[in-house]
Amino acid sequence: MPLLGELKKNYKIVNHSVPRIDGIDKVTGRAHYAADLKFVDMVYGGCLRSGRSHAKVTRIDTEKAKAIPGVLAVVTADDMPKPKSCAGNAPYMYLTKEVKYAGDVVAIVCAETKALVDEALKAIEVEYEDLPGVYTIRDAIKPGAPAVHEQYPDNVFTDSIYPIRKGDVEKGFAEADLIIEREYETQYIEHSYIEPEAVVCIQNPADGVMTVHSSSQNPFFTRRYVADILGVGMHDVRVFQETLGGSFGGKEEGVGMLAARCAYLCRLVGRPVKMTFSREESFLESAKRHPFLLRYKVGVKKDGHIVAWEGTQIDNCGAYNNQTQFMNSRASIHSCGAYTIPNVKTDTYGVFTNNIHGGAMRGYSSPQLIWGQEQLIEEIAEELGMDPLEFRRINCLKDGTTNATGTVLDHVNMQEVMDYTAEKTDYQRKHEEYKHQTSTKKRKGIGIAIGHRGCGLGAESPDASGAMAIANEDGTVLINTGLAENGQGLKTAFAQIAAEAIGVPYEAIRFYGTDTQAIADSGMTVASRGTVMGSQSTRKVGYKLNEIMRANALALGFFKDQENVKSIEQIVLEDGFFHTTEKPDVKVAFKDVCNASLWTGRQMAAYEWYMPPACIQDHHTGQGVAFPNYAYGCVVAEIEVDMETGYVDVQKVTASHDVGTAVNPALVMGQIYGGILMGQGYATTEEVEVSNGKVRNQNFENYIVPTAADMPEMDVNIFECDDPRGTFGAKSIGEPATEVVGAAIANAIYNATGKRIRENPANLERVLLGKKLR
Amino acid sequence: MQKLSYLKPQTLKEALGYLKEYGEKVKPYAGGTDLMVQLREGSSRLKDVEYLMDVQALPELRGIEVREDSIRIGAMTSHTEVNESEVLRKHVPFLSIASSTVGSTQIRNKGTVGGNICNASPAADTLSPFVALNARLVVVSVDGEREVMVKDAMEKAGKLKLAPHEMVTSILIDRIDDYSTAFIKLGRRKALAISRMNAAVALKMENGVIAAARIAPGCVFSTPDRVEKAEALIVGKAPSAALFEEAGKAVSEEMIARTGIRWSTEYKKPVIEALIQRALCRAAGLPED
Repeated sequence: MPLLGELKKNYKIVNHSVPRIDGIDKVTGRAHYAADLKFVDMVYGGCLRSGRSHAKVTRIDTEKAKAIPGVLAVVTADDMPKPKSCAGNAPYMYLTKEVKYAGDVVAIVCAETKALVDEALKAIEVEYEDLPGVYTIRDAIKPGAPAVHEQYPDNVFTDSIYPIRKGDVEKGFAEADLIIEREYETQYIEHSYIEPEAVVCIQNPADGVMTVHSSSQNPFFTRRYVADILGVGMHDVRVFQETLGGSFGGKEEGVGMLAARCAYLCRLVGRPVKMTFSREESFLESAKRHPFLLRYKVGVKKDGHIVAWEGTQIDNCGAYNNQTQFMNSRASIHSCGAYTIPNVKTDTYGVFTNNIHGGAMRGYSSPQLIWGQEQLIEEIAEELGMDPLEFRRINCLKDGTTNATGTVLDHVNMQEVMDYTAEKTDYQRKHEEYKHQTSTKKRKGIGIAIGHRGCGLGAESPDASGAMAIANEDGTVLINTGLAENGQGLKTAFAQIAAEAIGVPYEAIRFYGTDTQAIADSGMTVASRGTVMGSQSTRKVGYKLNEIMRANALALGFFKDQENVKSIEQIVLEDGFFHTTEKPDVKVAFKDVCNASLWTGRQMAAYEWYMPPACIQDHHTGQGVAFPNYAYGCVVAEIEVDMETGYVDVQKVTASHDVGTAVNPALVMGQIYGGILMGQGYATTEEVEVSNGKVRNQNFENYIVPTAADMPEMDVNIFECDDPRGTFGAKSIGEPATEVVGAAIANAIYNATGKRIRENPANLERVLLGKKLR
Repeated sequence: MQKLSYLKPQTLKEALGYLKEYGEKVKPYAGGTDLMVQLREGSSRLKDVEYLMDVQALPELRGIEVREDSIRIGAMTSHTEVNESEVLRKHVPFLSIASSTVGSTQIRNKGTVGGNICNASPAADTLSPFVALNARLVVVSVDGEREVMVKDAMEKAGKLKLAPHEMVTSILIDRIDDYSTAFIKLGRRKALAISRMNAAVALKMENGVIAAARIAPGCVFSTPDRVEKAEALIVGKAPSAALFEEAGKAVSEEMIARTGIRWSTEYKKPVIEALIQRALCRAAGLPED
């Protein structure tokens, strides 16, 4: 089980910390974001939000707003031919008269200036009839609760039901020496990207093509919304992804909706239109990390073997479903943690409420589940009187064991990663020592948590992608794919992968995406799949171009001096030079072959598609192969709790992750550092406070994200292995980096205080009083 | 955002003239770190405002001057200037510390002590040390000059008891050179945090006995104040953790006496007791844990 560098991977460009392609642009402020763009004759758009949680619009009068000089358009649901979106999986409303949550939009406005937009929004008169609503998971599942959608009378979103049935859970409970039941609840979390959502739309007056410059996480996804609202073909919409100032899963549907409304106004007024969200609007309409209510019942033997695991995992979809079914697929697959348990019965489903919708956010259900499960594991160990580390060792996934879906696993280094991290942090000694503290002032705590994560999309949807590579006559290479740079360093990683596969220097590559009219959709850049699976086609096209260029070199006579060179198998292209296996010192420059290829009309570009082996699960039992493979991680958090104020000072976090191959070790470290801080906020301070659907904190003065001053000391350990399934052996890291952190902190709080926080986050009041103040 | 006219007087006389002329329609502003946020939020307390009066150029609002029995701090003195002032660090270290805990570096560079008080938030970080220092606001108008105790200046959260044509030019504080002081702030994070609660205390020791004490808790009363009962409790006694625990309880009793039992009392009561005890221990040089 090697640490980074111990396993000789022998890559030339991959597995090295090359500088990130967009790094200098970002740190010098040279990078352009969608909101920076300006066009001649550009005007502005804005949204009027209801602010109501559940209401009917009884009257809406736009006359005064329309009469303001400089106001170009005011549009309500009645004015729009199709106010309901059919673009994504969610029945969103571009404009509505039936308000289902506080962020719903009842009118949009276009005007010459931003100030006029605000004035017009204020001048719109709306009257509402408030309706009874339902806001919490607990209320939504009560019999007779008001239905958010007529077609879901009990508020259960039926498409999001994912069962796991493995073994016989009743038989397991019958064998158990101890049965323990616990309940955990998590909160709404905001992505907190620095850049709020922004879109600029311009329509070509000649061919009608609508060009959209947007802060999209997934430009092809945005395109569906724009084509949908305009009622045009997708070939009439061109989406450019501009530099993103963070996304973390948040700039998907929200940006689609924004781009659609902006494009609608653009066509209506015949001028370029810019729409940007204020921070408050971003809080109100962007999806949040789903709150989960987690109920578990676990049966264990005295010897520490878990024999039965039953769970109900209910997530809050909010007013509109937003990826809940896909989220719950992952949540069901990971519903018994990184453990092998013979008998598992879990049910995962979402419920509708009159709240902001849950959605994708870094982890996609795993931070919630692991936060509950890894506390539960320690609660069971304590009841058994067993060391929590030993209890994990007995039950954790190992080579040849099966996970919740019944897949027999290989390349499992869970226990090694855990033991290494525990030993490095002196976990066992500290954990025991801290238990016996009696100070009423300050106490230390140490907590451990482990996690595993299915890499990429798995059985959720095909993890396929396409990529293009074009060699130029000067030896430089352009690459493109439908996957997108979201700040994670995808362009850098893909350039490394392409350079490695083609055999040219890293500097020779430019990744010119993403423009939806330049390349085919490769699925969304989500699920920590970009580098792991999304780049398989980039690697494949790299190999293809390498082969094409070797053939060109041979056919063009570059090796005619070496008479026995007859086949391209005898030619090697690496580091930007060709040579033969026989005479490696005689080099031919890649650029010379490129130049000759161009003028002789030879192919010097390729497009390849990668289709992974199918992952097939039975929907009724969840049994089958859910993911090609899993990444394993362990985090130890060391904290100090102020016993008199409830303040949790996170002092050191040690994070160890199995990344298969670290495509760019520096970027992997960056992902983990950021993931730790996000996990810290999740566990200690962050909570979008909703009260009967109203969002109390809509900006960063009271939505408390950790600052640089709050950052703990971080110790990151990168593990590699020889699992061949991901691109060049890579495994996911974007989400594993954050998913385990919160649970480790929660366990550390228990170690320090002796009190379990079963409702996240552990803020001042919960730590001191064991409950939320109101 | 509402449309406002911008005034930038070059002399105090000109500024007072604007105040006389426009009264409630004019809002003086210093750093704008609170005001700009309130404007963006469409705060109702600014609904009648038509003019913003930028008082940055007025020399009368600047400077820190140590006098025989008081110190004068110009209202336009930024938190950074307060924090970095050698004389304030020497004479009133807890004020310097409180200034260093305000918001972020940018906010401390722009925000001023005058603004921090005039914004009248009970959670203002510098309010507790100012109250402990018996701070007086120097309030001027075309009619003349008067002094108002900071603790008496606030009508309620967000509103000062000043006439519409008056403005604050400086703050006068006691010289308490022979006191040792402490300020403790509890926030939800280590920077850019609003005080959940805070405590400013000053102790004068004579022959191992507390000769005089000032105890000002922050964010517990609707308008800031010292807690004389707690002060009286410890004066004449030798400092100890047990004594200071009693002082903390006297503060929480006073909080409940003044504000009643609220939804937040369950949390605030034990925590203000702890903060007061800790601050007193720190000022007295006793261990805090």
